[in-house]
Amino acid sequence: MADLSERTISADTVEACRRGDRDAFRAVYECYKDRVYSISLHFFHGDAAMASDVTQQVFLKLMTSLGQFRGDAELSTWLYRLVVNACLDVSRRRKSEALVEPDESRPERFVAAGSPEEDYARAEREHSVRCAIGALPPKFRVAVLLRYFEDLSYEQMAKALNCSMGTVASRLSRAHRALAARLKDVIDRRD
Amino acid sequence: MLTSHVSNRLAAYVDGEVTPSDVRTIERHLAECARCRTDHQQLRLAAATLKALPMVPVPDNIWPLIERGLREASPTVPPVRPRVWRWAAAGAMAVVIAVVAIGRWGTATRWEVRVLEGSPVVASRVLTDGGQVGAGDWIETDARARATIDVGAIGTVEIAPDSRVRVTATRANEHRLTLERGRIHAVISAPPRIFFVDTASATAVDLGCEYTLNADEAGDGVLRVTRGWVSFQTDGLESLVPAGAACATHRRVGPGLPYFEDATDSFRQAVNDFGFQKIASESLNTMLAEARARDTLTLWHLLTRVSEADRARVYDRMAALTAVPPAVSRESVLKLDPRTLQRWREELAWTW
Repeated sequence: MADLSERTISADTVEACRRGDRDAFRAVYECYKDRVYSISLHFFHGDAAMASDVTQQVFLKLMTSLGQFRGDAELSTWLYRLVVNACLDVSRRRKSEALVEPDESRPERFVAAGSPEEDYARAEREHSVRCAIGALPPKFRVAVLLRYFEDLSYEQMAKALNCSMGTVASRLSRAHRALAARLKDVIDRRD
Repeated sequence: MLTSHVSNRLAAYVDGEVTPSDVRTIERHLAECARCRTDHQQLRLAAATLKALPMVPVPDNIWPLIERGLREASPTVPPVRPRVWRWAAAGAMAVVIAVVAIGRWGTATRWEVRVLEGSPVVASRVLTDGGQVGAGDWIETDARARATIDVGAIGTVEIAPDSRVRVTATRANEHRLTLERGRIHAVISAPPRIFFVDTASATAVDLGCEYTLNADEAGDGVLRVTRGWVSFQTDGLESLVPAGAACATHRRVGPGLPYFEDATDSFRQAVNDFGFQKIASESLNTMLAEARARDTLTLWHLLTRVSEADRARVYDRMAALTAVPPAVSRESVLKLDPRTLQRWREELAWTW
């Protein structure tokens, strides 16, 4: 999967944002909106309202603080950091959210091809993955999403998470174990 | 000699984030240690499962809220100029509609139509703003007109200029359009096989997706999928088209082989030639020579469309490009055993 850094927002666009050019803001938003929203949605195990709140926060923060962006890093790296901070902040404010199970009645997206049975199985698998991610501690959860949903390298993750690559590796390793255990049934069915 | 267990480094190994020296150490260990092999297999499959998480379009109501926040934060900044609709915005709107209305989707019998540009003709009336359509109504756009249909509560379809579209069915289990000519862009968020678009030579069956379909009156056209999957089919012939792939359809032939649009030019040309230009052997040779692992999408579809002798060549090439699952035997594939083909496709789909 492509990551945000592959999307190109030119230095001119960033500069136009600094000058308050609303069309430039919109261009940045159009470029990154779905990824920011999707990371948030998966982080909050499918809670669309929470993901919408975080997406607003991230872009408002991005737009209103672009003056602080030094330009010596990728805009995407900075954006990832804002996403991480917003997800973790909201998560901290709602400490109980980690205990909230995904809404069982929430409609799953169906993205598979095949018989209705296959489609159902695939939707169920997606649901299991979302539940497994939702059960991870927030710092592990966001690391997993950056790595596997956004396909960031450990180096890019270290910048976004503001930690060392060793910490990234450690978090992912522990997250991996927890996920493999929780996804055992799903994995066994694939074997 | 068995080295100490490598479990703590397996995640980084699976992620390709270890040094070449560590790779050698880990692989030596895995060759000897069943416990770490099991761990490795579980980690690898967990990673593959996670990578299948879908991208979800942002709801359409987020930008106005951000814009309002920006105005409050910086009241001197002028409001954004009105902008024309974009495909992506239409997609986001589809998801909002689907999410808000899920549970009662399918109950609508008339669908809203909105004018995006110009003056489309809807149900024999020139539309300047908005209206409704029901089964049997036509929507026609000229070179300067565009319109969008809210397909019940499951998504939207934008109708491009110079297009003619008929609403064929608005039933709960069947939302169906006919694209007589022109181009549409559909963004659907619903269970599979609820939304259909007929052209003169093939039917696009939504499996939860976003796609563009163009066609002419004779039945020539192309389907391009940007999210999810579409089944492109006609009597007895089906092409499964995932995101990033396209599939042409031709008059009196139906859908051809699906192909990824980032395949080589010669591969894509061979796909087109194979289906429609009657120089099958040459184009088959090209496809087999040029195929990448990802192009097993095309090769898998080829299995049922070639002679038995050529099928063996296709199988062998696929086996060289990707690991064949233990449950998929060469013999069963050559016999076109449906369960085997389905099983293989499901495994291959993780790489598509």
